[in-house]
Amino acid sequence: MNGLICFTNCLLPREDGSLIQQDLWIDERRGVILDAHRTFFLRKERPDRIIDLGGNILSPGFMDIQINGAYGFDFSVYDGDDGAYREGMKTVAEKIVETGVTSLVPTIITQERSLYPKILSLLRPFATPISANLLGWHAEGPFIQLAKRGAHAPQFLVSATEQFASFEAIYGAENLTDREDWLMDTVNDGEVGVRIITAAPEIDGVMAAVEETVKRGVVFSIGHSIASTDIATAAVQRGARLITHLFNAMPQLHHRDPSIIGLLGASPHLSVPMSPNQLVGATTPMSRSDSLKRRLKVAEQEGPKAVSEAFDDLLTPPQTPIFVHRDSELHLQKGKVADMAFERPFYELIVDGIHSHPNSVRLAYSAYPEGCILITDAMKILDPHLRDGVHEWRDGKRFVKEGDKLYLEGTDTLAGSVVTLDKCVRNFSRFTGCSLGEAIKCATFNPAKCLGIEDRKGTLRPGADADLVVLDRKGYVQSTWVKGKEVWKRTVT
Amino acid sequence: MRLIIRDDPTAVGEYIGNYIAKRINDFKPTPEKPFVLGLPTGSSPIPTYKHLIKLVKEGSLSFKHVVTFNMDEYVGLPKDHSESYHTFMFREFFSHIDIPPLQVNILDGTAKDLIGECNAYEARIKEFGGIELFLGGIGEDGHIAFNEPGSSLSSRTRIKTLAYDTILANARFFNNDIAAVPRMALTVGVATVLDSREVVVVVTGQRKALALSKAIEEGVNHLWTLSALQMHPWALIVVDEDATAELHVKTVKYFKSIERVQEEVEAMHAALREQGVEEQVGSME
Repeated sequence: MNGLICFTNCLLPREDGSLIQQDLWIDERRGVILDAHRTFFLRKERPDRIIDLGGNILSPGFMDIQINGAYGFDFSVYDGDDGAYREGMKTVAEKIVETGVTSLVPTIITQERSLYPKILSLLRPFATPISANLLGWHAEGPFIQLAKRGAHAPQFLVSATEQFASFEAIYGAENLTDREDWLMDTVNDGEVGVRIITAAPEIDGVMAAVEETVKRGVVFSIGHSIASTDIATAAVQRGARLITHLFNAMPQLHHRDPSIIGLLGASPHLSVPMSPNQLVGATTPMSRSDSLKRRLKVAEQEGPKAVSEAFDDLLTPPQTPIFVHRDSELHLQKGKVADMAFERPFYELIVDGIHSHPNSVRLAYSAYPEGCILITDAMKILDPHLRDGVHEWRDGKRFVKEGDKLYLEGTDTLAGSVVTLDKCVRNFSRFTGCSLGEAIKCATFNPAKCLGIEDRKGTLRPGADADLVVLDRKGYVQSTWVKGKEVWKRTVT
Repeated sequence: MRLIIRDDPTAVGEYIGNYIAKRINDFKPTPEKPFVLGLPTGSSPIPTYKHLIKLVKEGSLSFKHVVTFNMDEYVGLPKDHSESYHTFMFREFFSHIDIPPLQVNILDGTAKDLIGECNAYEARIKEFGGIELFLGGIGEDGHIAFNEPGSSLSSRTRIKTLAYDTILANARFFNNDIAAVPRMALTVGVATVLDSREVVVVVTGQRKALALSKAIEEGVNHLWTLSALQMHPWALIVVDEDATAELHVKTVKYFKSIERVQEEVEAMHAALREQGVEEQVGSME
């Protein structure tokens, strides 16, 4: 055997969301996808092993860029034992493959500040030979908005008065070094590693930290925020490229100040290039500082409340301001949209049917399909084998699990998600009416592109890692492959 | 020469596919004595390739001990260009069958020394003892391989400038940009094809009807290079009904009748073989 595998009789998702009947060749030993043409004509080899997939779909492995834990392990809980924490990482990485996930970004919610440097240093890219890849970390908090804190502990929220230096003080300077330095003392050469910070750009000092964060190779995501439209726009202009769990923990879409959600419909008319030094606020032609002030005031008055992230909203903003009149020539090409000064950010959607209504999911996807990223935002009790009922969480609190719904015991407060990513893909196709191939794209290519690793992950391009998931035509996982090896296979029951 | 007429291109593909499969299986190829097969590109042979792939997947045919030589390749087009004949052959045929890559031969249109490449190709065919069966298609102007009208009927593998007709016809594969269509190709010669022990040509569609008529109802003529087939001792042309549009009714009827007789003769030969009589090469003509 020459270690090459040919998958045949299968449909391959392409980067445009279409599905094509085609074979895929991989190199099992190097764990990469092959250029079949070159392998045949230049290497003069063809796979000895042929796997007939019986008409199923062979997709890049799914990627979950926001997941708090699973199978009883919570990435946010560190009790001083490095070994136990690493064991937890291993458990999640090895078990999650049954949901079709081959790459994930462990997410930690707001912590007591002394814990950050330790946990983040443990969350280096990690994988075992039979596991999914933990790609790095996603730090959600502590630079977030009190009024939109969700399940985050209010006493640990902080502002960034020293701007990027505050980020370094919290997360640890060694965890925020340039990408190359951060990856250098990690694992093997050429390993993929990513870091994401979710923060609220209206928090003191955060906006000024965005550019340096992005420069270090960290993805800046807007979330747990009440940023007005102009602040959210400014954050994107400074390099923010993601919105954390769209619709949740942010102001609802108001037509006069569409806030963060409105970025999906960002108008070319408004995205005039801003100088990076220009201060957000009164000088911009689209200032909304009044409405922001009002929101902050309400937030202060009402204080932190343990309510669902999605349903606490504020006053009606004043009428839409009149914008600076511009009189340039209009273009004449049907179907073309005038150039924007910035790319609209990617946005995460929790498609469990609970955190966002199917109509909202479709609305967001219709507005900007290229930016859509499916996430689970799952809690540690994510485990497709777990029964409904009451389960321990932490600090003596308990969950009630009812299907994909998760409440704090004795309340109707949503406590997070327990949906698996493969189910999100199936839901998404039903909610939006899009094809399975287009739904797959939102769990593979789009997140990889957001993280800038679409040459290695979330794609079937030659040279990419042979991380694969086989789905039947209903979207159920049949087998999962990581680095060219089958790591999970559905057993017929 | 035999002419087989079938209803449509699919039936033509099935006929030729089964025919080639039988020839390969009867040959009983081995690593020491492989079956040497010449192959074309273009839309006409696709149904044949589809049927051969089906036979391989069913397990009734294998290309493990088959060596192939392709007819032609564009000059200057990278091998992995979407319109190169390397890409065509890989996409339509080689990726789906079990042929070892080392047994595939396609002219290299990116070679520095194009003349050297052509001469080496001829030498390599000789090394394998010549081509057992050459499958071909034709262009609307009756060209076989890239042997455009006016090509010498005793030509060998060489560089060839494409006729304007061919460039126009191929422009659709290059975003209708005539400037992007390669102007030159490397191709086996008419004599290279005629040297093979058997030639099978697929001709389908009404657009090829005139070329078919010129090639079989008139004399040998370098303006319709397929007509050189009249000089070959063992040639088979398989066509669909549409391609017969320009033939005389008499011609069509004649060839239909000899197909029946051929079957009888083959049955007789099979009986002889069983009695241990050595089989002769050639058709009943």
